[in-house]
Amino acid sequence: MARHLVCKTADVPENGLKECEADGGLKLVVANSGGEFFGFQAMCPHQDVPLCEGLFDGATLTCHMHLWQWDVRSGSPMGIAEAPLQKYALSVEGDSIYLGGESSALDVGELFNGIAPKTLQALARIAQREEFAENSVIYRIGDAATDFFVLESGRVEFLIGRGEKQDPAGFMMRKGEIIGWAALLESHPQRIASAKALEKSALLRINGKQALKLLEADPASGYTVMRRLSGLVTRFLTPAGAQ
Amino acid sequence: MRVQVNARNRAFQFEAAAGEKVLYCGLRAKIGLPYECATGTCGTCKARLLDGRIDDGWPQAPGKKSLKTAQGEFLMCQCTALTDLNLEVASFVYPADPSSPPVGGYAGALEAVRPLTHDVAAFDVALERPCEFEAGQFMALGAPGVPGLRGYSMVNFDRPARRLSFVAKKKPGGGFSEWLFSAGAAGARLEMVGPLGKAVFSPSLGKNILCIAGGSGIAGMMSILARAQAADYFSKHEVRLFFGVRTMRDVFFLDELARYPQAEITIALSEEDPPAQAGKLKFARGFVHEVAKREMAGKYQNVRAYLAGPPPAVDAAIRVLLLEAKLTTDNVRYDKFS
Repeated sequence: MARHLVCKTADVPENGLKECEADGGLKLVVANSGGEFFGFQAMCPHQDVPLCEGLFDGATLTCHMHLWQWDVRSGSPMGIAEAPLQKYALSVEGDSIYLGGESSALDVGELFNGIAPKTLQALARIAQREEFAENSVIYRIGDAATDFFVLESGRVEFLIGRGEKQDPAGFMMRKGEIIGWAALLESHPQRIASAKALEKSALLRINGKQALKLLEADPASGYTVMRRLSGLVTRFLTPAGAQ
Repeated sequence: MRVQVNARNRAFQFEAAAGEKVLYCGLRAKIGLPYECATGTCGTCKARLLDGRIDDGWPQAPGKKSLKTAQGEFLMCQCTALTDLNLEVASFVYPADPSSPPVGGYAGALEAVRPLTHDVAAFDVALERPCEFEAGQFMALGAPGVPGLRGYSMVNFDRPARRLSFVAKKKPGGGFSEWLFSAGAAGARLEMVGPLGKAVFSPSLGKNILCIAGGSGIAGMMSILARAQAADYFSKHEVRLFFGVRTMRDVFFLDELARYPQAEITIALSEEDPPAQAGKLKFARGFVHEVAKREMAGKYQNVRAYLAGPPPAVDAAIRVLLLEAKLTTDNVRYDKFS
């Protein structure tokens, strides 16, 4: 990736935010956390509000519209936020900030974002990138849940019921969302819904057992991932009015 | 007509009556669809039409400015179903709390409009059937001959309520408020939808309360005070209220506020010094968020904050509460109307 100038370090006040357009046209918001710079997507993933208008205390970025919050070190959602931020690697050379690459779907994802780089790299090595055409089936109800998927691009819909009686049961649309997390459960489960690509989609396929083995070898990361997995599961079980 | 909403976590189905806005039908069916102003200005209730036909009641609604209309996005609060609909809502949606007051259509007669200041008036609506609501909620009100609905927070608290009290600020070009201030409004039949809004107070909260209101944003805070008083909330919890206006000419509800001696109430004047003779209430000079920041230092333990008023005042208060008071976001409640 060619080196793109984002802005000068002096453009971003200490513990402040600035929206920048990098050479090449990418818009991002740059956060200055005590002299360290972090780059994120310019708009809030909730309702397209510019994040540069948000609040920043040097550690937590808050969108002023509905108070979604993120940890600037990782882009991980905090509090009531439903999605992580796309993070962009930045490098400082002299008085200038340059754009590195964007973080991978695994790193932007709701389970693995911000875990130990070694474990993240090991997971990336066992991930296989697959493309699904519009309307193609990713898995069906009753299939063995051996693999889970991380959405890189596109849109995936879940369906419950069989044949004529299929009903939609939610959809995934954000880079990094986890599809088929049952593969991370211990009891060799089966798929309880089918998953279909609503549009041309790219997914990272990861074997559940292998991923669990990697997480066992790095219990700190494993704990983070399991805690997030339980949060993800409860989000689908949340009772009425608990929002 | 049948409406199916595909949310991120699951699908919902509900019935839509002809001519009734999709959002109101969904809320009536106790589905927690996303919304904030419910009257076309904020854009929170956007959905994408996958299948079916809709009628857009307000094609120029300001809340549409960030919508991708070419991809079928529309505001559920402004559109009615012409056929069965299949919609997509790109957020997590849960069933509403079954114990929450049901959303529905109400109507009533507008009673005397009483001026409170040179540009703020109070008005009551005598309901044709009683209504239940939570303190802090609002109704979307419509007047005869005025297109669209506008949100106004209830000032009173009764359960059930046979009468709703509101406060309105006169805004040039504001369809409803201009109509309200015109001669001949009294006695008119008003239609409304509600109760709406999530910045609600119930005594089961069990926390100290901080209310920061600018101008007519005091309305919902009055309801919170009334609810707290009825439940003897003041004996166990601290309640502080900051009410910001420009000058003494703009202040109102002083007698009503003085009825809550157990609450600590401060009137913030942004454009003049406080009067020498202040009576039972405290006065201070400054913008309401600045006065609150000064007075609240060290008093943020176990606090739930409610905010209302002009958007810049609410934003400034959010900044103080999150960055300086370090309140968590679930303890900062407001409904953005724009």
